[in-house]
Amino acid sequence: MRPLLLEHYRTAKQSLVRARMRTALTMTGVAIGVASITTILALSNGITNIINDQVKELGSTVAVIRPVSKQSSLQDLANPTPQNSYTTSPLTERDVESIYELKDVQAVAPLMTLSGSVRKAGASPERSSILATTPDFADISKLKMSDGQFIDSVTLEDTAVIGTQLAVDLFGTEEAIGKTFLIRGQSFTVIGVMKRQNDPINYNNIDLDSAAIISLESGKLFNSGVAQIQQINVKAKPGVAMADFKQKITNLLRANHDHERDVAVYTGTSIAKPTSRLFSVISTVMSLIAGISLLVGGIGIMNIMLVSISERTREIGLRKAVGASNRTIILQFMIEALIISVIGGFAGFIGGYVIAFGISMFLTYDPAFSWAIVGWASALSVGVGVLFGLYPAIRASSKDPIESLRRYH
Amino acid sequence: MTHHTASSPVISLTNLRKRFGVGEAEQYALDGVDLTVEKGEFIAIMGPSGCGKTTLLNIIGLLDQPTEGEYLLDGKSVEDLSNSKRARIRAKQIGFIFQNFNLIERLNVLENVALPLAYSSMPHLKRLVAASDMLKNFHLGEREYYMPWQLSGGQTQRVAIARALVNDPSIILADEPTGNLDSRSSHVIMEELSEVHKKGNTIIMVTHNPNLTTYASRVITMLDGKIDTDTKDLTIEKPKVAEKKPLGKASKKAAPKAKKKRAKKVKKS
Repeated sequence: MRPLLLEHYRTAKQSLVRARMRTALTMTGVAIGVASITTILALSNGITNIINDQVKELGSTVAVIRPVSKQSSLQDLANPTPQNSYTTSPLTERDVESIYELKDVQAVAPLMTLSGSVRKAGASPERSSILATTPDFADISKLKMSDGQFIDSVTLEDTAVIGTQLAVDLFGTEEAIGKTFLIRGQSFTVIGVMKRQNDPINYNNIDLDSAAIISLESGKLFNSGVAQIQQINVKAKPGVAMADFKQKITNLLRANHDHERDVAVYTGTSIAKPTSRLFSVISTVMSLIAGISLLVGGIGIMNIMLVSISERTREIGLRKAVGASNRTIILQFMIEALIISVIGGFAGFIGGYVIAFGISMFLTYDPAFSWAIVGWASALSVGVGVLFGLYPAIRASSKDPIESLRRYH
Repeated sequence: MTHHTASSPVISLTNLRKRFGVGEAEQYALDGVDLTVEKGEFIAIMGPSGCGKTTLLNIIGLLDQPTEGEYLLDGKSVEDLSNSKRARIRAKQIGFIFQNFNLIERLNVLENVALPLAYSSMPHLKRLVAASDMLKNFHLGEREYYMPWQLSGGQTQRVAIARALVNDPSIILADEPTGNLDSRSSHVIMEELSEVHKKGNTIIMVTHNPNLTTYASRVITMLDGKIDTDTKDLTIEKPKVAEKKPLGKASKKAAPKAKKKRAKKVKKS
């Protein structure tokens, strides 16, 4: 069998080299498909890795509670105002208090992001965000201050801590302590400036470098005295088994929420699950487009294999006459299709990373390498070769040797 | 000249029929052929176009299947053989020679000759060595790395014969092997086949050229899908074509003694 496989490989190589141009073009078709998928996976892995790294840095004692969002559907994609965006978060202050009372808890920080502008006369940074939280946030997120202090239990309601970038955007300098600015028209005094984080994508879903952090009480004032909590970060005491800890919080929240499964507790790397719905929509759409390009690449293989078989009909007849079985002919043409798809796939994999690195020049993170991506690229390449090479190969094997030998007489 | 043995026939065909078309277009290319071929025979099959010669050859070579009748190869029926078993028999036991040579254009002479050995699972290097040895037998050792289009018609057919013989088949099936050659090249090819026959191979050759039948030990003529005459059957009149003097001037020069010998034997038969 092995000599025959090598013979098939040699035959395929000869045949493909003979038709260099069309082989190269067909390979390009597969390469584009695999490159698209590699790019998407490399970039999305990059994001996941960033958040994973952050979670690792935090240690294995942090749990994150988020509302469970409805699964995106095609209807949601088409809807200009997805209802889900405006759904009130089921997380409440009561949940925060209940969690505080658990004996394994070291710190709890509810996160309430507010809409509205941050401005100062003449400056209104577009990318700024507003976060209302409790002093424990600094402990859980291991925040470091470059100047001043973080909000605490005794700081006044009209004080805020801001990120370095926001300080520069508002005041033109990082030296912002004591300066005032407006949040939704209300005046706040800067009591602290955080050290630069350089991680706009993180599990808190907020770019802290451009954020203004105020106390939860101040935040509630902007929302008719009600805390609209999007996320709760919980830090367990050292040595606590996180699986049990997670289960305890889950049970507690179920009891608080009339046994509705409307919130989920994440620990470890599951915290890194992409939280942005927009991101998942973009990833889905791009994957579909990539899938289509791979499909087109596969059709290219089928097309070129059918042409090749048509041109080599007499050769097929001859091979059968000198002892090739149908199975042998199938194998010969399958190997040819696989060579095209695997080389195309390999080129696509490399190309995908080149594109991903190119795109990352405009992003705030780098694409990541993972063996899973190698696995996907390999599986897709081989899969496309097998799927689209099989029909032409079967067609070649079913050719009548007598008719085939009569061709071009 | 013949190498007949007392053992069972290599090929035995009984009431073989092959139908093409359906309904009003239905016709029998073979219509009740009974034929027994002994080991070492050199059979020439003649007849007008469409009489079923090539169909018979294709069925004997396991490229086609009869509609009715029995085909025993080495005493065993081939009717129920699977596709892969048929292919294996073709790879090991049968060698084909075609009128239009059928060399693969992108392979050189050596690779073309080595091709059948690929289906006998022989390693690449051994295949090339065997093919090279075979080509030397046909005085084509110096043309091993030529491409098919660089050879003359006669050389190309010699390469095709070398390919047919490279896996040492017991049966050689030649379909108009000299059909595309001039008389000189035809003679050379027939001499080669004659040499192969002397080594004990069974050869069945389809031809339109009556001159070539002198090389054969047995001549069969076909008509309308049936065997019309067979020189083996003493009751059938000896075909006139066998008495014709074969070959042109060139061939006379090439092998006059061999030719005289053959002519005598054909007359005897």
